[in-house]
Amino acid sequence: MSYLNSLRFNFTGQFQAAPSTVNNDPLHFDNRTFKPSYQQPGAGAQNGWWNPTGDAVWRLIGCKVSGVWMGNAPAPVSDPIHGYLVADSDRSVSAKLVDLDPEQQSVSEIWGMQVRICTPDGTNLMRSRYATAPFNDIWDRAPGGGDLIAGAAYQSVLDDIEWGDIGNSPFLQALRAASAESRKLSIKFNVDGYDMTPTSPNFTRGRIIGSIGPSAAGEPNHFVIGRHFTTTDRGGGNFFVPSGNINFCPAVVDAGAGKIYLDLGNALPTTVSGGPIKPLGTLTLGYMSGAAAIDSIDYQTPDWYESTAGVVEAPAGRKLTADELKGIASNPLTLTLTDAQGNNAGSAGEPQDGLYARADQFVYRLSPGDEAEVRVFATTFGQPYAGARVVSIFDASQLQPQSPLGPAPAVATPESAVEFPARIVADGHGLARLAIRASDPGNPRHYIDGQVYGVRPILEASLAYGTGDSYNPWDFVSLLVFNTFQPDEPITWFGSLQPIFQQYANLYPVMKKFLDMADYDSVCANAKLLQLAFGLVLEDPNSMPITRDLSPAKRKAILRWLNEPGEDGKPRKGTPPPEAALAATPEPAPVERPDDGPVRGGKASAMSRRLMFQRRR
Amino acid sequence: MIRLKAGLFADLDGTPEGLRRALQNAIELEHATIPPYLYALYSIKPGANLEVAGVIASIVMQEMLHMALDCNILNAIDGKPRLDYPEFVPKYPGPLPGGVESELIVPLAPLAKQLVKDVFMVIEEPEDPLHFPVIKDLLAAGKPPQTIGQFYAGIIEQLKEQSAKGNIFTGDPRRQLTTGFRPLQAIHVHDLDSAIAAIDLIVEQGEGTKTSPLDPEHQPAHYYRFAEIYYGKKLIPNPEIKPGAPEYVYGGHTIEFDPAGVWPVVTNPNRDTYPRGSMARNLNDTFNYTYTSLLKSMELLFNGQPDRLGPAIGLMESMKEQALTMMSTTMATEQTAGPTFEYQPVNP
Repeated sequence: MSYLNSLRFNFTGQFQAAPSTVNNDPLHFDNRTFKPSYQQPGAGAQNGWWNPTGDAVWRLIGCKVSGVWMGNAPAPVSDPIHGYLVADSDRSVSAKLVDLDPEQQSVSEIWGMQVRICTPDGTNLMRSRYATAPFNDIWDRAPGGGDLIAGAAYQSVLDDIEWGDIGNSPFLQALRAASAESRKLSIKFNVDGYDMTPTSPNFTRGRIIGSIGPSAAGEPNHFVIGRHFTTTDRGGGNFFVPSGNINFCPAVVDAGAGKIYLDLGNALPTTVSGGPIKPLGTLTLGYMSGAAAIDSIDYQTPDWYESTAGVVEAPAGRKLTADELKGIASNPLTLTLTDAQGNNAGSAGEPQDGLYARADQFVYRLSPGDEAEVRVFATTFGQPYAGARVVSIFDASQLQPQSPLGPAPAVATPESAVEFPARIVADGHGLARLAIRASDPGNPRHYIDGQVYGVRPILEASLAYGTGDSYNPWDFVSLLVFNTFQPDEPITWFGSLQPIFQQYANLYPVMKKFLDMADYDSVCANAKLLQLAFGLVLEDPNSMPITRDLSPAKRKAILRWLNEPGEDGKPRKGTPPPEAALAATPEPAPVERPDDGPVRGGKASAMSRRLMFQRRR
Repeated sequence: MIRLKAGLFADLDGTPEGLRRALQNAIELEHATIPPYLYALYSIKPGANLEVAGVIASIVMQEMLHMALDCNILNAIDGKPRLDYPEFVPKYPGPLPGGVESELIVPLAPLAKQLVKDVFMVIEEPEDPLHFPVIKDLLAAGKPPQTIGQFYAGIIEQLKEQSAKGNIFTGDPRRQLTTGFRPLQAIHVHDLDSAIAAIDLIVEQGEGTKTSPLDPEHQPAHYYRFAEIYYGKKLIPNPEIKPGAPEYVYGGHTIEFDPAGVWPVVTNPNRDTYPRGSMARNLNDTFNYTYTSLLKSMELLFNGQPDRLGPAIGLMESMKEQALTMMSTTMATEQTAGPTFEYQPVNP
């Protein structure tokens, strides 16, 4: 089912994402070489970029229901849902947007978000929890430079649902009924138009347009089981430039309704950042390499994007014929753009044999000894690919181990700290379970805890076609594997914890509004609050550290240190290391390199540092 | 001294419902002091006026404690504290809830000595002990009592009177908040004595006792702490021990107040002070949404979900961060913006 079905509604508004930008450079994590200038606003890695005092908040702002669909038609205007809002929590602080790692910034996750449907006066019709998930399919959606040109999509489920009084809304009653078994809703939203100008009223805000529908029990949480249009990178962009002008996108064939539900929400470029969809000519959905046309898609109507979130039901005004249904069951679907002169202006299509495999959850934080069970779903033409063979390889090409300041710590090494089977086989439902086991990486990055890895599951059957055809570079599993950590006994500030707190103080100057994380006395004075915040689960929006990059072992040590004070009633201070020891620590000489300036922005800058580019050079 | 309207005392009519209404009014009154105090506190620039900031912060904490104690008493007598409704939030500038309008208008204003003297000290001012009347006599004489202390004294009288007729402490003990503040752990309101102890603490922390400026924790009461800021001197026991000499004097170390260490924050803003679409408006909307979320969170906290203290504290910290950001954000004029503390259950 998922949001990509006949029962769904759209919402349109703004998001706010205000990460600290001090941590954008991996070398800023090195306490020994950290400079005060890294906390100052300013271009590039010698400064702290455009939002050094960011607090990592993620908010939904002014999001209104903008389209409602049921039974392959717009829902009656009499349904009050048309006047409702989609909002975040009114009982706790805002959610947080968090990078996995300074060397893997392309899977930023939203943690601790509630999603509500409410009336304009705040009366709740539905309250739910957004299951933590990162964005995917980031691309160069608008012309220009920097993060403001980026588009990306989030897909997840809403669980812990509480329904309010929905007696007036037939649509919401239908939605509740359709999700009764799974007790989950499916949510997908596209973000673009990000504003990174500190003096702008919309600083740290952008456009969000999304869809919510039912979720079926057993289906993946973070992508659609269906038909997947792919493309390749033309290159030369900040993130990804689809060679055929149309980005990765999914579709679902509903044979019963005779419809194809196609989600173009993150697939079509805009004229300007956060602006209207760019006219690229006639957009035709078809199959057999476009030879058989099903429908042309009216994406240029004003407000089309806002009122549909880019979700199209095709063909309009009729049902798929039996021949069409038969044809698309065994032939790749295609999207084709034709300009006014009749020339091809772009395209995207399913890969050969309609092959598709993807990990549902694809971001993991693991301690030594942890095992992640990654659910990989394999399909062919949208149907479960029973018995599919999935091979998995290390692939660090999208990780970002570079810095304009000098050599950055290498990623994905040692490989011995991550083990997984080279080949797994899907069950009768096309579901393959990839067990990834972590062991201690042995502190290979010194001043950044643990190590990041990329593991890419691929359908063995698709390898024959090469990587140019069915290869979405973003579809891989990102892992942060923490080091083991053994504190001193009893645990003391100077013996174990000072460097950890110092690093947070360096990277998150916003904390100065509350306490000085680098100062023992200030930390002690706030011990009660820190006990509370460090004791919360990561899903809690108040969980500290906000960055969710503290290993469980270090968290345990900090909590023990706070909970087991010394004789003076304060957490134990210990003795400072001798000056000589500090002086003996070699300081890597910073290497000045041409910086990529302010225009790129955090994500764009990180993406330019991907290994895939390093290897090409 | 803030004078309360006679109408506020009309609830003390001998009925359990009236007593509950009076306690609900007390919750509103305690809450109403917090936004003006916070506004002044957050107007202090980072690192400036540290001692003054510490004094105000400690008073705000106690006002929150007083609100919690009032909620606990109301819960103990089987009431339901309410914090989540638009009228719970007073309009600033304006009188405190139940306050006599002609006497004291409370603003949202940046910290200044005159604000401390003309408003904060007036809110917390005890009645002159020499003229402190006995509530019963006053009621008997038909003269309406008027101060916050007298209002609380009236509540105590009602608690005693109604307890004498039968047990009124029938509330669910699980609705008591017993964490977060040390006194809450000690004063678990479940009977007349504990309810009176809670009210005594509220009154003494605010006004001191009839004979001493110190509260039970040996800290000067709010009135005297604000006076320390105004006079710029700590209150200390009078070193001159002479018959007839005052017991305490403002003669301790100097409390520096540097007006340059205060942001030039706008006075008495409301949401329309900030043009639609401006950064200040956007920041203020988000602040008000957070503030309203705190009220919602606290209503749950005091209605059977005491484990919501953590999320509530998180919201308070978020408000602080947002207010500090606003107060360092220059508007079109020479002034910086300040949060308006308005009830706003969605972020528009």
